[in-house]
Amino acid sequence: MNLIREIWQSIVRRDPLSTDKGKSELVFLNVWLHIHPAKVKKEHFKFNHTFYLGFITFFLFLVLVTTGIALMCYYRPYPSVAYQDMKDLQFVVFMGPFLRSMHRWAAHAMVICVFLHMCRVFYTGSYKKPRQFNWVVGVILLLLTLGLSFTGYLLPWDQLAFWAITVGTNIGGYAPFVGNYIRELLLGGHTVGQEALIRFYVLHVAVLPSLVILLTIVHFWRIRKDGGLSRPIWKLKPNKPEELVTIGATPQTAPLQAVAASSDKTYGLMEVVTGKPIFETVAPEEEEDAVFSYPFAFFREAIALMATVTVVMATSLFWHAPLEELANPAKTPNPAKAPWYFLGLQELVSHSALIGGVVAPSLMVLALLVIPYFDRNPSRRPSDRKWAIWLFTIFVVINLVLIVIGTFFRGPGWAFVPPWVHVVAGAE
Amino acid sequence: MNRRSFLSWGTAGMATLGSAMAVSFGAVVRFMTPSVFYEPPQTFKIGKPLDFAYGAPTFLADEKIYVFRDRDKGFSVASAVCTHLGCTVKFFTNDDQFHCPCHGSIFAESGKVVHGPAPRPLNWFEVTLARDGQLLVDKDKIVPASYRLMV
Ligand code: HEM
Ligand code: FES
Repeated sequence: MNLIREIWQSIVRRDPLSTDKGKSELVFLNVWLHIHPAKVKKEHFKFNHTFYLGFITFFLFLVLVTTGIALMCYYRPYPSVAYQDMKDLQFVVFMGPFLRSMHRWAAHAMVICVFLHMCRVFYTGSYKKPRQFNWVVGVILLLLTLGLSFTGYLLPWDQLAFWAITVGTNIGGYAPFVGNYIRELLLGGHTVGQEALIRFYVLHVAVLPSLVILLTIVHFWRIRKDGGLSRPIWKLKPNKPEELVTIGATPQTAPLQAVAASSDKTYGLMEVVTGKPIFETVAPEEEEDAVFSYPFAFFREAIALMATVTVVMATSLFWHAPLEELANPAKTPNPAKAPWYFLGLQELVSHSALIGGVVAPSLMVLALLVIPYFDRNPSRRPSDRKWAIWLFTIFVVINLVLIVIGTFFRGPGWAFVPPWVHVVAGAE
Repeated sequence: MNRRSFLSWGTAGMATLGSAMAVSFGAVVRFMTPSVFYEPPQTFKIGKPLDFAYGAPTFLADEKIYVFRDRDKGFSVASAVCTHLGCTVKFFTNDDQFHCPCHGSIFAESGKVVHGPAPRPLNWFEVTLARDGQLLVDKDKIVPASYRLMV
């Protein structure tokens, strides 16, 4: 009995969770949990502030890593063998269709959630000082998410995969000067073939996930260092935007008195750092809003995790990920469509490959990246930032409309065909 | 070490480190650039002239080419790769035009763009007669649309 207790205590050193000390130690003695502060503010966990979209995105990524590793046990990245393996996963492997569907639906969901998360960060003005850089990290995460989807799209080696990637990489070829070279690097050749498949595989299972993990760590770390999440907009005091500007501003008060360092004393970091903290200052009456992360935050995060996993699993039970015919370089399906989140791009490209495929998307990404530095308005209150909200909404709507047109209104030969009109395909 | 020598050694050190990094980066990029392409050859034989019918062009799927044979003018070979984004175009005999399924480009029989978004006409490849009497296509040699091989 004593041995068991000794083993347990060698693993878990914290005090019992019934004590405040135990609750704090649970967080900061644990390498996984200590990204959280010991105490959180209740308002940050209000559902209609974040909609938990960042968490959900992260949990979807975890689902993708787990199911992805499972799929890797059966998948061999070699043309036609790859397709056979997909067929095996579809018909032979125990729970194969389920795992493959989970991976596919979670990937779609992640694209949606990362986009919605970006929208919520924008509409709540949470990219403003001192969070500008975390927005930039976020935009890169968004691009990486799209990159993961794009590289993953080729792996089944079916018709959809082959033509989506043929078209997609040819768009890159239109980039001035370096376009063709980058395309050659990506494909390891001039057409989509075995070299392209192995390169996409390496990007999909090693390079891009590692980058996402690294940047996610930075993203979360920065949330802490930026003073926790932003305050919900309904908590912002009306007409006093200055109060918010103080975050990260140069201290107005006199700097702390410098005291000569004594040689026989060890200094803690907080004694060396002077100046005003970048944290949003909290009025005493708001202090009581803070509660221990355990159980308040962990409980809510666990619910979000379980809800995410449950929805993905349930969807995968009822709908299976599609698989088309084996890739056939000689026969382009009509219409040949990219994955839905790139159909806006494909719609633009159908008008002009250079402007629609290279110039417009580059400008969009650039615009997203500079938003926090370009928007000098310090206020986060929606009523103070009508222009910003209008512009961003237009950006979102244009993207959605293009995607909807590309998805539902384009038929054979990319002709404009409303979804309610039935076209007999392949009139040859 | 005095200030001046610290600075000059420091500069030299940084320059060395910088160039080492630049060279390594170049090496990585070069590593990723394929030295050999395991792709089908650009020059290939497609068979004897007699194998091809007059009239509508013959589509060779693996090579992605259309072989035209005209009673008076002879042979010409068009690329089936759309100049927009690389989908395979299809020749329709009802309007004698190439249609691209991806974004709706249409090319005339001569390869000219009838309808965008394709920016350039279809490519025409050189076709010659090999010693063994077979037609020899060279995809590296782009020829004008008027090019013909009389057999
Ligand atoms: C892989 C993708 C991403 C993951 C896993 C992720 C995760 C998270 C999480 C868990 C939070 C905590 C609050 C919440 O749930 O909303 C958060 C906050 C934040 N995210 Fe992301 N995020 C991602 C992409 C993005 C993108 C695309 C942007 C913007 C372009 C962005 C910008 C931010 C900012 C500025 C915050 C702080 C918001 C605040 O203080 O209220 N993130 N992120
Ligand atoms: S690839 Fe032919 S029209 Fe786009």
